[in-house]
Amino acid sequence: MTLLFALSVGVLFGSGAYLILKADLLRITVGIVLVSNAANLTLMSSALTRGQAPTYPLAPGVQVSDPLVQAMTLTALVIGFAVTALLVSVAFRVRTSSGSVDIDELSRREQETERELEREDVSV
Amino acid sequence: MLVAGLGIAWVGAVMLAPLDATRRHWKLVALGVLALHLLALAVLMGLVLTRGPLETVVGGWPTGVGIRLRADALGTLFAVVSSTVLLLGLAHETAQGTATRTTPALILFMAAGLTGLFLTADIFSFYVFFELSMIAAYALTATGGSTRELGAAFVFAVVNLLGSFLFLIGIGALYHVTGTLDMATVAERITAVEPNSAILAAACLFVAFAVKLGLFPFHFWLPSVYTASRPAVAAVLAGALSNIGAYGLLRFGAGVLPAQLELAGVALAVLGTASIIYGALQALSRRSTSEVLAYSAIGQVGYIIVALAVGGTVGLYAAVLYAVINALNKALLFLSAGLRGWLVGAAFAVGAFSVAGVPPAAGFLGKVGLFQSGIAEGNALLVALIVLGGALSFVYMFQIYQHDHWRPSEEPPRPPHGRWQRAPALLAAAAILLLGLWPEPLLGASEAAAGALRSPS
Repeated sequence: MTLLFALSVGVLFGSGAYLILKADLLRITVGIVLVSNAANLTLMSSALTRGQAPTYPLAPGVQVSDPLVQAMTLTALVIGFAVTALLVSVAFRVRTSSGSVDIDELSRREQETERELEREDVSV
Repeated sequence: MLVAGLGIAWVGAVMLAPLDATRRHWKLVALGVLALHLLALAVLMGLVLTRGPLETVVGGWPTGVGIRLRADALGTLFAVVSSTVLLLGLAHETAQGTATRTTPALILFMAAGLTGLFLTADIFSFYVFFELSMIAAYALTATGGSTRELGAAFVFAVVNLLGSFLFLIGIGALYHVTGTLDMATVAERITAVEPNSAILAAACLFVAFAVKLGLFPFHFWLPSVYTASRPAVAAVLAGALSNIGAYGLLRFGAGVLPAQLELAGVALAVLGTASIIYGALQALSRRSTSEVLAYSAIGQVGYIIVALAVGGTVGLYAAVLYAVINALNKALLFLSAGLRGWLVGAAFAVGAFSVAGVPPAAGFLGKVGLFQSGIAEGNALLVALIVLGGALSFVYMFQIYQHDHWRPSEEPPRPPHGRWQRAPALLAAAAILLLGLWPEPLLGASEAAAGALRSPS
């Protein structure tokens, strides 16, 4: 079980990291989602006990699963969701203001602006 | 008092979020709420410094079950400094008229998040507050609207989110090996943990905080974000938000995982040195004010890390002192960077003196603290590094001072800056001068903060 968790976390984190290295803002966002879920899975697998659902009333002598990591993961999931929404909206605004979501394209434009700034600097 | 320090900004932020804060009266309300928040924190700090740490378990849970809020000298000092910078930033935005509809609410959310993070004794709620302030920061950097700003905001968010998730993984690891989320209990139990797992968790936390700080190999996002943002946003990011990194390294490094910090001492010293030299050389080669300031920020955090690597009471004291002064310096420099006039020039010069460590500016105290730690360590190389770094920062600061304030302006005259627009920068300069001339309160508070780390509850 631990090995399975470790492998899934590794695959999730690896694919997320691969996507983050792409030049497309949406792919990067998906990469972040994958990495955030790798972190959530790590949290889940850091539980101290396994067993039945920890709902009240508890039958005596029954081992319950650690509820704390579930609470933490739930919180982390919500935060991850909010952050994804924010990233998508920023990507959308980049798209509406520049017509492109390609980082290479954006940085090419930025370099052009910088060159213009330098030209102004020299002329002053 | 503890809950008041946290609650005022939070309630204010939630109330202001749906309102149209471009209207004058809501802006003033936001300023008032933030000022009240700062006042509550200042009172809290006074209480903590005179009577010792305050503690409360939220929700009326028994101790050991509920989340503990704990105000000690270190946390309150960072909370007061960050809130001061946020107040100055908000005042600057308001006076410049660049504030958008949501800016005041976002800054208040950031104040609430930062205060919570500085006052919690629970590692998971630390993460939650940390994300609260970071999300406010992501939104704040994206409010500008130009493509360059949005692109920088996206990069900022992605890089810092990666850091946050690494931090979350570190928390999971710490919980797994110690079985608790309470900082003091983690610190107790970590000594019995197998060293390899503890080091892995510590490495995750270190990378997360180093990304926030913009320490040398983790700095790549920083220049583009600081140069693309408005002056007030850059001031808030450099002066308040990067405190998370310094505080986190102090709290988790020296407070929770002291053995791991000691083990990593040499690595930290190397990274800090690289950061100082890289930041200073890059800053020297830049011409635009915001770029020089951004690279200078990378160099300045190097000193905090070097002091942390020295460790011990002297090193921690120097790290706290330098982090506080650096936050004020950065706020002052970014706020005054876009303004003109002889008064602003004088304020900028105060900031430049402070960065270079020339008395009577407060930066001198930070440099003295570093010298003390270098001498206590008996490390001539460290002392030489501080002198070299100081000299280089003097050169690059005055290069841009000369460029901005001495060169006869041939560009069309900008709209004159009124009294209110210059006030935040002047206030920051006055604060730095005052702290430099009457340093006892700051020195006492930093000493108490370093003491709080050496003897956790």
